[in-house]
Amino acid sequence: MLTSYFQPNGMMYADRVSGWREAVDKVTRPLLDAGTIEQGYVDAIKTSISSPGGTYIDLGGGVALAHARPETGVNETSLSVLHVGEPFLLADDEAHPISTMFCLAAKDSNAHIDLMQALAGLLTDSDKLAALTAASNVEELAAALA
Amino acid sequence: MKILTACSTGLGSSFMTQLNIEKALSNLGVTGVETDHMDIASVTPTSADVLFVGRDIAEAATGLMPDVVVLDSLIDMDNITKEVAAALERHGVEVPNK
Repeated sequence: MLTSYFQPNGMMYADRVSGWREAVDKVTRPLLDAGTIEQGYVDAIKTSISSPGGTYIDLGGGVALAHARPETGVNETSLSVLHVGEPFLLADDEAHPISTMFCLAAKDSNAHIDLMQALAGLLTDSDKLAALTAASNVEELAAALA
Repeated sequence: MKILTACSTGLGSSFMTQLNIEKALSNLGVTGVETDHMDIASVTPTSADVLFVGRDIAEAATGLMPDVVVLDSLIDMDNITKEVAAALERHGVEVPNK
């Protein structure tokens, strides 16, 4: 079940954020606090997003999967999510409005298959994706992810 | 027949796309097709028969392999299933559940 992969306080809601950098700061905070990632991982995600083609973490449907290479600072495979009421633009690109940003910290390329299967199952289910998109507080977000 | 997905890191977007392609293969009733994911820098022309990438790295993927499919959404199963079916047919693999 997807819920079991989230860090404590790893599901967050905000009405709005100032932009994608603040979204990355917010979504990575629970992982930093839990020690599953280092600051270097946060920096690597920001560098990746602002690089050419960096919007590839936009999965579609207003959902982004923020991540970077494990060697930039992943201690433990873990997950968090930030949902915002007002979409922000990934890399300030109007083609990439995002309302839900997951942060994936993966130790290697394959170990997180169960987590990814749960996440893929959720996001490819249009009813569940609609519930996720419509969430307007942490409780609704948690229910949509359950 | 092997279908490969790639993204910049080779563990997030490409992994999810691979899992969704596997689901599409299952829905299409196709077995025996190999799938994998990797980082785009490691892809060579012989890595697979077809390469699936998201629109944002379409440019980087161009020419990496003879058959490259660009997806607008990595979670839109209808479109992924359609593109997978088309790719299978291009490579002579029969699709039972069209």
